Amino acid sequence: MNPFAALGLPAGPGLTDDQVRAAWRAVAAATHPDRDDGGDPAAYSAAAAAYAQLRTGWGRSEALADLTAVSYVPPADPAAVGPAASAWRMLVILPARVRHGRPLRLVIRALIAAAVALLAVTLIPGNPSEPAVVAGAGLWWLLTARGDLAPPPGR
Amino acid sequence: MLSILRTLLLLWLLKQAFRLLRALLAAAVLVLLWPVTVAAAAAASTAWLLGWPPARLYRAAAWSLPVTAVYAVAAALRYRAWRAVALAPATNWQQASGLLIHGRVIAAILITAPVAVPAGLAVGGVAWAWRTAAVAAGRAGRHAFAPAVFDARQWKRQARAARGLLAAPGSVPLAARSGMVPVGAVIRVIGRRWTPVLAVPAGWFARHMVIIGASGTGKTNLMIRLWAGWYAAALQASRHGKPRPLLAALDCKGGPDARAKADRTRRVLRGVGARRIAIWPDEASLSLWTLPPRDLAVLLYQMTEHGDGAAAYYADMTQAVLTLAVGAPPGPPGSAQQFLDRLDAGWLEDAYATGRPGELAMLRAARPHVGDIQLRYATLLGRLGRALDGPGRLTDADAWYFILEGTSEPSVAEAQAMALTELIAHAATDRRAEPRAMLLAADDYSAVSRRVPLSNLYERGRSLGLGVMVSAQSWQGLGKDDDERYRIAATADGGLWVMQTPYPEPLSHLAGTRRVLESARKLLGTAWGDEGTTRIQHAWTADPDLIRRLHTGQACYIHRGTATFVQVARPKPSPLTLPAAARPPTVPAARDGRHQDHGRDAPTVPLPAIPADGPPPLDDVLGPAKGSVS
Repeated sequence: MNPFAALGLPAGPGLTDDQVRAAWRAVAAATHPDRDDGGDPAAYSAAAAAYAQLRTGWGRSEALADLTAVSYVPPADPAAVGPAASAWRMLVILPARVRHGRPLRLVIRALIAAAVALLAVTLIPGNPSEPAVVAGAGLWWLLTARGDLAPPPGR
Repeated sequence: MLSILRTLLLLWLLKQAFRLLRALLAAAVLVLLWPVTVAAAAAASTAWLLGWPPARLYRAAAWSLPVTAVYAVAAALRYRAWRAVALAPATNWQQASGLLIHGRVIAAILITAPVAVPAGLAVGGVAWAWRTAAVAAGRAGRHAFAPAVFDARQWKRQARAARGLLAAPGSVPLAARSGMVPVGAVIRVIGRRWTPVLAVPAGWFARHMVIIGASGTGKTNLMIRLWAGWYAAALQASRHGKPRPLLAALDCKGGPDARAKADRTRRVLRGVGARRIAIWPDEASLSLWTLPPRDLAVLLYQMTEHGDGAAAYYADMTQAVLTLAVGAPPGPPGSAQQFLDRLDAGWLEDAYATGRPGELAMLRAARPHVGDIQLRYATLLGRLGRALDGPGRLTDADAWYFILEGTSEPSVAEAQAMALTELIAHAATDRRAEPRAMLLAADDYSAVSRRVPLSNLYERGRSLGLGVMVSAQSWQGLGKDDDERYRIAATADGGLWVMQTPYPEPLSHLAGTRRVLESARKLLGTAWGDEGTTRIQHAWTADPDLIRRLHTGQACYIHRGTATFVQVARPKPSPLTLPAAARPPTVPAARDGRHQDHGRDAPTVPLPAIPADGPPPLDDVLGPAKGSVS
């Protein structure tokens, strides 16, 4: 929930205590359940919650920081969820890590590794070096690609 | 005579022939093992050009061994005879040589690569290590300046390689999984094992650290990175039963850029999992009055300046009155106003009227001075502002960023720093509170170092479980005298971070020296002769001249007699982080008649209550003034 929106305020760092209080009073007056028309209890509740959060400068800063963060839910602690679930989560976030990293470099590296592997398959078929070179190209790509990924959440 | 000359000539010829034979033999081996030779030459050349240390080649060789293992398995599957498998490299070498003769270079390289690459990298590493050692010792190079020129050139290349590593977004994250705190890309190491990234164990933070660097050298970047890394590691440990982290950063210089730094610190800390980051005094406050009465009285006394000689009488008088005011029977004061109200002779006499004849006698003696003491403390507390008058506790937040105006108001900043460090020390020792892993960082400590002797806290810190990190712009800013400076620097078992500074010698002294070989060669005219001497000399582990020349973002980490030159990575949280998702709600959604208990994360900032039987009447919500609804 956006607490600024609940009070009809613009989300910004320049709000003062008085502005927040004035907005809360206005919303409370318009939505209070004691009104003749029954008010809007849900909106009142949301506004009360928002006011509690935004009434201090610290609370406003924290709320603003929450809003400006990227909408991604971090995975739970790997130790708590077990290695299999942790590996699955890492796999799920891999596309995002690639996107926020250096995808072009990753692709170039992948192309180089693929080209080396292709050369091995084409030029030395049947030789014991063929699978070794293919494995080496893959290993090189895996080892060097890590730096081109964005760090996982929380790191 | 002629026979002697003939013998000498013969000996010379024999010597030259032996040398030639040795060179030819070496050349034959190199040609025979051409795949390894090519790989080794390529590895050593790359290391020379990119400033890599030999260790990097050894690591690459080790990482190539799986390729050799795959090769061995493939050979075993193909030949199915041990002898053939053992001779597979020789067979492939023979095949590759044939291919090379027919101009099929790529195929020849591919066939020999699984064995030649690891071997070549290892041999290249040995050759490169020999070469660097020889040049450093003065045994190689074409002229006397060769060691210095070689070192300067390699430094440039090492620094460039380190900057290149930092360009990769995932190379130096803010925190590592193993509880290590990555700091930056290694430029050069002296006395310790080389790793591409310098990572410091989080436990070292509890053993205290010192950071020295002139303005504009990247000190803030380094500090924010260290804070974030420590916080992430401590948070990770807290999930395994260790105490939760609490960071207290004191920006002792203040000014407009302190707000920008605070904001940046908040963003980075949120990226590693901190939820509530309080910025003091702008957004949050603390209460000085939560300290135990005895500590509070001592602190209040220390916060004002006292003279010597005749002034000592008044100092004692002040201390006695403060102790009586704070320890009065109604209990300690809860606010500045309550405290000032107590600095009144009448109030104090009333408080101690029954059954306290000793205190009453003291009060009568001090009565003429109580008014002066009240005036003095009213002025002091007025200057300190409301940010130390509550509400709020240190444990309400995950991290605190304290902004002290040490440049514009040094005396106020000093008093505030004293109060804050006392609150932090109290939080670390409070047995009733939840234990927290704490790190106290004082940035630009020189602004308050005159009256806040952090060395005391340094020495107590380890037993309190409190890590202390101090930064100053110079050695001189670390304390009021050399004794104080050495006490701080010498007890920093967590390490010293030295950035560009004009006077690094005392810190270099703490790093100590290392033994190096130094060669002297005889000059014949303008050319080297073939005679000389080599001896063991002592050289700086952390070369002060190199430290003086460090660029922005470069630091020398001195720890246990080793030095690591590092390019500090800019602290940047993962773009995939959203702290809001895990943030506990700050207000009750249910109408349960009281605030929801958010467990130990619950802030103490008072929240409006929603009664169980519905919301309060509008007048209660809006107050008696304007805005009522008809």
